[in-house]
Order: sequence, then C-alpha cells, then structure tokens
Amino acid sequence: MHLKCSSEAGLPEIARQILEAAAGRKIFLFHGEMGAGKTTLIKSICQSLGSADEVSSPTFSIINEYDHPQGKIYHFDCYRLKNEAEALDIGVEEYLYSGQYCLVEWPEKIAGLLPEVCVDIRITTEEDLSRRFSIEQH
Amino acid sequence: MKPGTTKPIVILGIESSCDETSASVCIDGRILSNVTATQKIHETYGGVIPEIASRVHQQNIIPVVDIALKNAKVSKNDIDAVAFTRGPGLLGALLVGTSFAKSFALALDIPIIEVNHMQGHIMAHFIDEPKPAFPFLCLTVSGGHTQIVRVNDYFDMELLGETTDDAAGEAFDKTAKILGLPYPGGPLIDRHAKLGNPAAFSFTEPQIPGLNFSFSGLKTQIMYFVKEQLKQNPHFLSERIDDICASVQQRIVTILLNKVKKASDETGIRQIAIAGGVSANSGLRETLQTWSREHHWDVFIPAFEYCTDNAGMIAITGYYKYLNQDFASQDISPLARMAVTG
Repeated sequence: MHLKCSSEAGLPEIARQILEAAAGRKIFLFHGEMGAGKTTLIKSICQSLGSADEVSSPTFSIINEYDHPQGKIYHFDCYRLKNEAEALDIGVEEYLYSGQYCLVEWPEKIAGLLPEVCVDIRITTEEDLSRRFSIEQH
Repeated sequence: MKPGTTKPIVILGIESSCDETSASVCIDGRILSNVTATQKIHETYGGVIPEIASRVHQQNIIPVVDIALKNAKVSKNDIDAVAFTRGPGLLGALLVGTSFAKSFALALDIPIIEVNHMQGHIMAHFIDEPKPAFPFLCLTVSGGHTQIVRVNDYFDMELLGETTDDAAGEAFDKTAKILGLPYPGGPLIDRHAKLGNPAAFSFTEPQIPGLNFSFSGLKTQIMYFVKEQLKQNPHFLSERIDDICASVQQRIVTILLNKVKKASDETGIRQIAIAGGVSANSGLRETLQTWSREHHWDVFIPAFEYCTDNAGMIAITGYYKYLNQDFASQDISPLARMAVTG
C-alpha cells in the first residue's frame, strides 16, 4: 500500500490507515532517513491508539514507554546501537515479544532480532518535500 | 548530623538510568566521592565497557561502589541509607541499581531512598555553593531531556515546559551527524562554533506554544540547508564548518533561552539554574551570562561532573530525603516513566 501526505495535518489519517492495514499486527518498523518524519508519524499513531502521553524521541533513552487504553506502547530508536549484541543486553527481545505495540525506528540495526510478523513502513521525502509512505505487511 | 547526636549522616547514592553506572558518598550534605564507570576503572577489574548495554551495569556496579566508598574513606557499616535512581530511564538499566540498592541495604539493615533522576539533576544545585534560593527556574538540558521546571522547594517542583520531540542534546548530536562529525557530536560542534561566526547562516526558530520546545524541525531544516549548499559547492562543509556550527549552536541556545526568558517573565522568577550535560556547552554558558546581565538574573550552573548523569546528584537528593525521613519500602520497583513532579 502506498500513501502520500503533503503536510503534518494529514498524518492522523495516515496513522489510521496504517493501523487498519496492520490488521492486528503490533510490530511496526519505520524506515527512512534522518528528518523523514519517523518520530512525527509515531506521535500520530500513538494518538490514534488513544495514548495521551507526550511522545518524544528515544534516541538517548533507546526505548520510551507510553500507556494507551489497551496496554503499553514501546517506542524504540536503534540509532545509537552499534550491533545486535547491545540490543540483546538492553533486553529488546523482552519488549518485542511482550505482545504490546512496538514502534521501531532504525530497525536495520536489529534486523536479526525482529519478529517475522510485522509491518514495514518506508518514508521517503519527495522533491516538493511531501512524504510518501510504503506500507508492507509480513 | 543526626538529630541529638554528633554522628554524621552518610548516604550512598547509586545511578544507573541509562549509559552510566555511578556511585557516590555524601556525608552531611557534602559529596566525598562521585565515581562513574569508565574504561580506566574497568581496566583495573579487567574487561572493556561497550558504550550502551544495560547488563554491563551489572559488571560495573560493585567496582564503582567499592571505589566510591574507598575514595570517601568510609566503610559500608558507616552508611545510614542507600539512595538509588528509580526512574525515568531504561528499565533493564534501572533494575540493576534498584536491585543492588535493595539488597545492599537489606544486608546492612538500613533504609533505602528512591530518587527521581530528573529531580536529581535539579538537586545537583545543592551540592556546592552558591546554592539557589526558592523559588527558582531550572532548565534541564541533556541528550535525553529538555525541561523547564519551577522549583518551589526541595521536593516541590512544577513542570512548566518540555520538548515535544527531540532533546536539545540530540539536536546537537544529530546536527553533528548531518555535518559528518562523529557521535556524540555536541562537544565537537561547540569546538568548531568557537571559531565561527554565529550570524553567518540563519535558521528559523520553531513557533511552539507555551514553554514547550521542539528541535525536530530544526534538524530537518539544517539537513535541507546542507543538501542545497552542497549542490552549489561540494566543499561547503569543509570550508564553512566553523560558521555552520556557530550558527546552529546560536540557534539552539536562543531557542532554549527565549523560553527561559518567557518563563522568567511569566513567573517573575529571576533565579535561573541550568542542569544536565548540555550545560557544559560554552555557547549556552556565555549567552546565559550575557542575558543574565541584561535581564538581572542570578545564574546557577553546577560543576560539570554533577551536570552529566552521575550519582553525586542522587546522593545529595538522598541526603535531603533522609532529613525528611522519606524512605522507600523494600517492595519498590523501578519506573521507566516518571514525571519530574513525582
């Protein structure tokens, strides 16, 4: 599935469609270069899930936790991780297999640890600075 | 000193919320040791420290406590209470400090004291003179946090504003990445900025309501700016690195201080404190000093070792909680999320 969005105002609708396309999958992998808008889209998805918590970048903390009416949302940023061993040391598999929502930025860093059932979301920036979202369920 | 005795109050502080494992001894409100696991300490005990790894806290915790006690020349039997970071932070990392504090205190039959890491950063202002008087405003800026807090009393704090996306320290680090500088790039940007012209390039200030911050848009702005410039001049980065760093640093600093100014105007509070690792940034320090003269602020900045994540700030917080006899029970568990107010 491909979606397009020319301003932040369109993100709630994108978030809604991504959650619908996920059909119950709870692991979301966000691909895109720095500044593509991964954290901003995750903010919208958390709001769609009914979370009232302030979503901020977990680059330093690696994993942020938010509450939503049905449970927890784990927001990962693997940017700072050097390899999968570091991710294992943090206990990422305990989060990934917890049955809770996991929204993962820079998933390439932990490719070998990710569950097979997931949703890949690729964000690309077009010439006119609008964003294109490619969504693929696995 | 303990009431009615001449015996000093000895607090062991433990910090393990993110990357650093740290231990500190505080006696009657004075920090006698503040030890953070470093490559050097670890060499003494063998092995190397990966940069990030919660389980590594487990390898570090005994050596840092041992060295903290030795440096302070106290024995474990002198300790009156163990203060530890309960949160916020990475759960696996917090668990190590919390479990250590609980078992150590249980074995010594002494109380434990839970400390909120964000309150700890602010309480670092009560380690050395001059100490701010209440109420004061504290801007806490680090790799993971950006907050303005109104501090009414030691444990009466009010969050006035915080970042809605990236932290200020992250803005420095990610800019460094865009500019091709190694991680963590904050200190490198500071070094280049000293040689550059802060007015060379202009970046717009995000319009964020109230006292909240946003740094994500600035990061994107810098990225497109660099891309555009590189199209015209492939040597743009190497030729203008000092000017770019100076301009970016100036923008980050004014974003921070404009909100501090707004908070000061709104509350009428002129005692301004800064805390967190980014308070080492020389641009922030210098601009703050200039503004303090213009706006008649009293400015407070802790020594650098108490600005980055450290156990000294946890031990001093523990000391003030000990005076209130504010102890935690042994069934306490760490919290990944914790508001500065709680």
